Amino acid sequence: MKQKVQQAVSPIFLRIEQLDEAKYGFLLVSPVFLVLSVLAFYPLVKTLYFSLQDDDLTGTHPIGEFVGLENYVQILSGDANAILSSPFFDLQAPFSSALIVTLLITVVSVAIGTVMGLGMAIILNKEFKGRRYARTIVILPWSIPIVIQGMMFFLLFQPSLSPFVEPLANLGVFSDNPLINSQDSTIIVILIDIWRKIPFIALIIMAGIASIDRNLYDVAEVAGATKWQQFRMITLPQIKPVLFIGMIFYTISSMKIYGIVEASAGCSTVPTLTCLVVQTFRQQRWATASAIAFITAVVIAVIIMVYIVRFREADAS
Amino acid sequence: MSEQEYSGLTGRIVQYTIQNSADVYRLGFWVGLVSFIMITLFPFYWLLVLAVTPDNQLYQMGVVPENFNIGVFATVVQEYPLHHYIFNSILIATITVIVCITLGSLAGYAFGRVDFPGKGPLLVLLLIISYFPGIAFLIPLFELLTGSLSILGTPTPDLYNTPWGMVFPFTMLSLPITIFILTTFYSQIPDGLEDAARVEGTTRLGALFRVIMPLSAPGVVTAAIIVFIGVYREFFFSFIMTDGSPENWAVLVYGILNFQQQHTQMYNMMAAASLIGIIPIAVLVIIAQEHIVRGLTAGGLKE
Repeated sequence: MKQKVQQAVSPIFLRIEQLDEAKYGFLLVSPVFLVLSVLAFYPLVKTLYFSLQDDDLTGTHPIGEFVGLENYVQILSGDANAILSSPFFDLQAPFSSALIVTLLITVVSVAIGTVMGLGMAIILNKEFKGRRYARTIVILPWSIPIVIQGMMFFLLFQPSLSPFVEPLANLGVFSDNPLINSQDSTIIVILIDIWRKIPFIALIIMAGIASIDRNLYDVAEVAGATKWQQFRMITLPQIKPVLFIGMIFYTISSMKIYGIVEASAGCSTVPTLTCLVVQTFRQQRWATASAIAFITAVVIAVIIMVYIVRFREADAS
Repeated sequence: MSEQEYSGLTGRIVQYTIQNSADVYRLGFWVGLVSFIMITLFPFYWLLVLAVTPDNQLYQMGVVPENFNIGVFATVVQEYPLHHYIFNSILIATITVIVCITLGSLAGYAFGRVDFPGKGPLLVLLLIISYFPGIAFLIPLFELLTGSLSILGTPTPDLYNTPWGMVFPFTMLSLPITIFILTTFYSQIPDGLEDAARVEGTTRLGALFRVIMPLSAPGVVTAAIIVFIGVYREFFFSFIMTDGSPENWAVLVYGILNFQQQHTQMYNMMAAASLIGIIPIAVLVIIAQEHIVRGLTAGGLKE
């Protein structure tokens, strides 16, 4: 039996042995790209195709006739707001428009999170007793399940439980029940996002700091530069490329924000773009949902372009 | 500079700062470190306080528990099938890891060690996938995996409420990072070792599985841990691909959310369930901290 199997298999191995380098390379990557064609490329193309059709709420399949860019026009002009669970873009109601809420969360979270991540990276890069334990502790927030990240802050801001809600309300920061107030909940979602992303960006920055040539600091020390000057003149310019990459990943991830919202304030209180897609999908409006998904992807692409252009400029000067 | 300029409290602080900059620097370092650790740990501590507080005292609480009810952890497992959800999560994450490592090893080896045309564009293609938000795949993937699509008259299998309904999307989401990490590790193995094995008569694939893979074991372990954590913490597809009951392969996401949605006042249970749900990850983070750090930076910094 075993011999028979070997006889059947060995010609295949022989063929693989005789392939040239290029064909061998293609052979090895083909399974991955075969799988990804079905699970990634096909769905992406089909989402684009769906977004060009009409919603069919009465037929057997939720996708109706070809309407071209009609869905996009409806969404961007605000005409679609009436059928959506929350408006896509409405300056009159900034905390209930998906695009504004998502951009606000992303900008504030990335700005504060990156600065704090930089601070954490500098601190954890120093040699000190127990650094290993400190590193282990600080990567916990990033690694725990998203649903628990949301749940933690849901419990932290429950008015009947939390010792913080009342003092914060007295100070005028929050209302009495922040988790049902869109503005307060947006702030809470930003807090969660910062809390869980600091370790992520700090780790990336630490890798950048680790690769800086130590001699630069020795020279600066001899020249009498203070720690602050060393940071401004050596550390910051040297880690700039890594910082940009970290910020791009951070931004992409914040633009997709969904799970922590669902597990804390809920999608009706903080309607992010992903929330809007899921809710529209649940209303059986597949075409409109697909169009919003693609607009989200385009918005993210534009932001990444801005990063890359800014990086090129900063690099050139 | 006269003494007068440094009068008053602020003045004295400024003076001290200038004279003892090393001390102030050290102080800043410790203040920073302690605040980061406290910010990080406080939400975990709050879960612990809530969990051990008996349910009739869950009102207007302080930051220190007044009574200890350790039994809550047993209750959560006995009365609610929390362990069932966690088991589902771990099993689905493990299957995804195996699929990703098997497929990803072949591709990572090719990207890291074989010269073939189109390598750059193919890597960019992988990066593009990891760029798109999950929602851009959702609807067609849902249609494909729930049997509502027919190919040549045969409907696709209905994988809603099965582990595969989640394993497929997770594989798609995890393959790019797996390949980035493995490519980095494979490319670092010296050519001589592979050549030696080949001279001894090992086949190409034999060299990959018997020489290269064992040598890059740390890379494989790193990729496996990153994928495992990624799947265990995932929310989006976990939330959409099951109806939420543990018999139907619902994962931890529902184990936690069901308390919020069905047992709205059981805050101590929610906290206890969350803490138990963290344990597998906490263990992994404690024993494999170095791997996680390396994997995140290797995968994240690959352009």
